[in-house]
Amino acid sequence: MLNVYSFSIAFSILFLLVTLELVRKSKLLEKYSLLWIFFGFVMLILSSTPYFIERIARLLEIKYAPSVLFLLGFVYLIIFSLNMTTVFSKQSQKITTLTQEIAILKEKLEHEEKENQR
Amino acid sequence: MGKQKVLVIIPAYNEEKSIGNVLARIKENADADILVINDGSSDATFKEALKAGVRVISLPFNLGIGGAMQTGYRFARDQGYDIAVQVDADGQHDPVYLNAMITKILDEQYDMVIGSRYISDTSYRSTFTRRIGMIIFSWIVYILTDYDIKDTTSGFRAVNRKVIEFFASNYPSDYPEVDVLVKLFKKNYRVCEIPVEMLNRESGKSSITPLKSVYYMIKVSMALIINSLRSGEAT
Repeated sequence: MLNVYSFSIAFSILFLLVTLELVRKSKLLEKYSLLWIFFGFVMLILSSTPYFIERIARLLEIKYAPSVLFLLGFVYLIIFSLNMTTVFSKQSQKITTLTQEIAILKEKLEHEEKENQR
Repeated sequence: MGKQKVLVIIPAYNEEKSIGNVLARIKENADADILVINDGSSDATFKEALKAGVRVISLPFNLGIGGAMQTGYRFARDQGYDIAVQVDADGQHDPVYLNAMITKILDEQYDMVIGSRYISDTSYRSTFTRRIGMIIFSWIVYILTDYDIKDTTSGFRAVNRKVIEFFASNYPSDYPEVDVLVKLFKKNYRVCEIPVEMLNRESGKSSITPLKSVYYMIKVSMALIINSLRSGEAT
């Protein structure tokens, strides 16, 4: 039967396969895939063994146990977005430095050419 | 003392109307090399600056004032300059003061000298929001560092070799003027202000519109506070 758990299981498996395929085709760098693979496994384990979900639900006083899945997914997305912005920030710093160095080099080259022509 | 190599760095973004005149006036007033950083201008800033016979580094796209100035400091570091002076391209900063600023660094061993428009009675008039902003920034800098700087956002500044090297590897990209002051004070660099008259800009408008000024203030204040949490750590 199709319920939120079986859907979750199917989705987790599909998700893991797609992630691995992206890594295999080098469309996703290994270091960025780790968080996703980890996420896929956690979701797979949680949805295939409702025991954990129900324990967590009781602990957090959540009446409808499967909503723990949504909560986890949501929290994970927020963490991942934060992680992404740190990656962007680092990249934007690197791009700035590259831009500066290239501009300096280019000017130096043109300047030397001009000197030589004299 | 041997001859000091001085570089005047002029960050320029769409300043084709004023840049030529600014460069001519700098040449009249100072014995220094001049470097224009053309920060991705879409107008003829590059051509106008080249026409004046100075070196021009053209960034392929707009990096903003921080990224542009850092380019200049990197150049100054690589070419072995002893002193670098930042002068705006819009004609606000009167090159008449260049020698006074440079002398101050050489004779009194300051690490940075700021051309300040508020330190004495100058005829400079600024908008109300700007004045309030200046007072708030001064106050924040004072609280964070115990140093009293009147014109914290002035872009008219001269620095020595030590600071050139520091800036070359370490310069904030957004709204750097105030931020940098706090950083320098934390590292015990010596900073002073000398009074200057600011001229009315020859062309263009301030990059800070009234609408943006509140956002500007919040952003700079946040950056300052976050920076101060970072104190002591390696930069």
